[in-house]
Amino acid sequence: MGSALENYVNQVRTLSASRSYRELAEELPKSLSLLARNWSILDNVLETLDMQQHSLGVLYVLLAKLHSASTANPEPVQLIQLMRDFVQRNNNEQLRLAVCAFYETCHLFTEFVVQKNLSILGVRILSRAIDQIRLLDTQLTPIHADLCLLSLKAKNFSVVLPYLDADITDISTVAAECKTQQQQQSQHADANNDAKYFLLYFYYGGMIYTAVKNYERALYFFEVCITTPAMAMSYIMLEAYKKFLMVSLIVEGKIAYIPKNTQVIGRFMKPMANYYHDLVNVYANSSSEELRIIILKYSEAFTRDNNMGLAKQVATSLYKRNIQRLTKTFLTLSLSDVASRVQLSSAVEAERYILNMIKSGEIYASINQKDGMVLFKDDPEKYNSPEMFLNVQNNITHVLDQVRQINKMEEDIILNPMYVKKALGSQDDDLTSQHPKTFSGDPTD
Amino acid sequence: MHLDKYSELVERLENEEFEQVELGAEVYQQLLAIYLYQNKLAAAKLLWMRVPAKLKEDKELMQLNLLNIALQNNNYADFFRNIKYEWSERVKSPVEDLLIKQREELFKLMGSAYVSIYQNNLLELSLMSEDELKHACAALNWTEELDGDRVILKPKVQEAPPTRGNDDQLLKLTEFVTFLEN
Repeated sequence: MGSALENYVNQVRTLSASRSYRELAEELPKSLSLLARNWSILDNVLETLDMQQHSLGVLYVLLAKLHSASTANPEPVQLIQLMRDFVQRNNNEQLRLAVCAFYETCHLFTEFVVQKNLSILGVRILSRAIDQIRLLDTQLTPIHADLCLLSLKAKNFSVVLPYLDADITDISTVAAECKTQQQQQSQHADANNDAKYFLLYFYYGGMIYTAVKNYERALYFFEVCITTPAMAMSYIMLEAYKKFLMVSLIVEGKIAYIPKNTQVIGRFMKPMANYYHDLVNVYANSSSEELRIIILKYSEAFTRDNNMGLAKQVATSLYKRNIQRLTKTFLTLSLSDVASRVQLSSAVEAERYILNMIKSGEIYASINQKDGMVLFKDDPEKYNSPEMFLNVQNNITHVLDQVRQINKMEEDIILNPMYVKKALGSQDDDLTSQHPKTFSGDPTD
Repeated sequence: MHLDKYSELVERLENEEFEQVELGAEVYQQLLAIYLYQNKLAAAKLLWMRVPAKLKEDKELMQLNLLNIALQNNNYADFFRNIKYEWSERVKSPVEDLLIKQREELFKLMGSAYVSIYQNNLLELSLMSEDELKHACAALNWTEELDGDRVILKPKVQEAPPTRGNDDQLLKLTEFVTFLEN
């Protein structure tokens, strides 16, 4: 083992033994390039370190290994196993001192397993990593985006969905972490990526919800992504905006409400999502035939954006919406009439659509095959069943929780010294401008 | 409970998937069958998408996927046709449960969606023999009518059993009212 590496091991062992973790955390980033250069003998270094006692030391070795993965070409399964051991056995107290390095490790690890096509093996590891590093169950970390990416790549959402279901109340960013930890490793410029991981989380999250057909929640995720305050447009936002338009057609049949404060959408995104706006306009005509034509016309663009599947869902949703509209006008209608009114090819197909919609509870109707008629009915729900009560109860509890949460957050802001200073400051400004003379002699000026 | 019958097995299989490379077809077969039984169609669809290409040639897995596709498209006729297959021991139990469940569901749906349906259409959908169907309809109190020489079945609407509120619900309601008043 090279003497420089011996120094590294000694440094880790002595400082860990004297529990001077903070000092260690400040020293270690300097050794990173040295470690990465000596990638071939990092395994020897690892043998002399203990996951639990020397978590910080192991973390940087791991980081170096991942940094050098392109040249060293390590055995994937072995590296994944190492990462798994690390997230299971590391010492949380030490990890807290090197949050940024840990985030970076997770990002590189994600990149690595995606490249090796072993995404599914990384899912549990990252979920464990998030559990370790986040301070609250509702805190968003940059690793969340990685977990979403791996889940999408692995096409397995059972692990990530509980994370997405939790409403975020707090965000952990590299910028904030580095400031508190006095680690100026700005050469990695990872702080600039905070916005990227934030946007990616909501973009990927929206895609995951779309895949499991939870369109309302998907719409919310895309909305967060595109309404993030910004001066310039990110391509993540643009792609999210395209999907947002499609999903809002499926959910609401028109463009969902977008808050007014987002000039980025009007200025940059609209011109770049022309095809999608055309789609929205045609959808508004309620003509399935026209919609089919336009989807065909733009199919190349949709396929390029990987939105073709979504476009087909939009087409199906228009049939359904048109049938739903019929239920508002008619009490009974023959199946062939339904078919011609919503531009389906035959009465049999109309019957199939109606049957499916009855099954999923989208309409209430009964089909009479004897006369070939459909009888549209009102919602039979009388809101007197225990299930409905339970439903209402759950919703109320949810709303109450949110009210509590909002009150708490408001309180936090009111008590925040920065806010108080600013709020009072602007009041002073107002006063100054109104009565300039009264304050001219103020000694604090 | 009935629905939880397989939850332990699912958990074990899912763990295997997360931690091992080069899984055999058996894991996917069992998972797919159970997802279908649990009516987790999105999960089943995704599972099929992530099955490695070389395992997609596994006969039983392909057969299960046919069921999956039929259920995704709400195509009952295809479903009942494809479920007639020599299932191996591993998936037999969930598939049989699935069949029973889908039959029940079909009749429930027909009962709510149709005022009248031709017998031969229902025979086609459910792939039952005439006697079996007669038996099933009799159990549900459906009536028959003749329209020329074709038999029309008239489903009977199932009344939900009336339920009564209990003290627990009352307590909750009181809580909400107190919250609103304060």
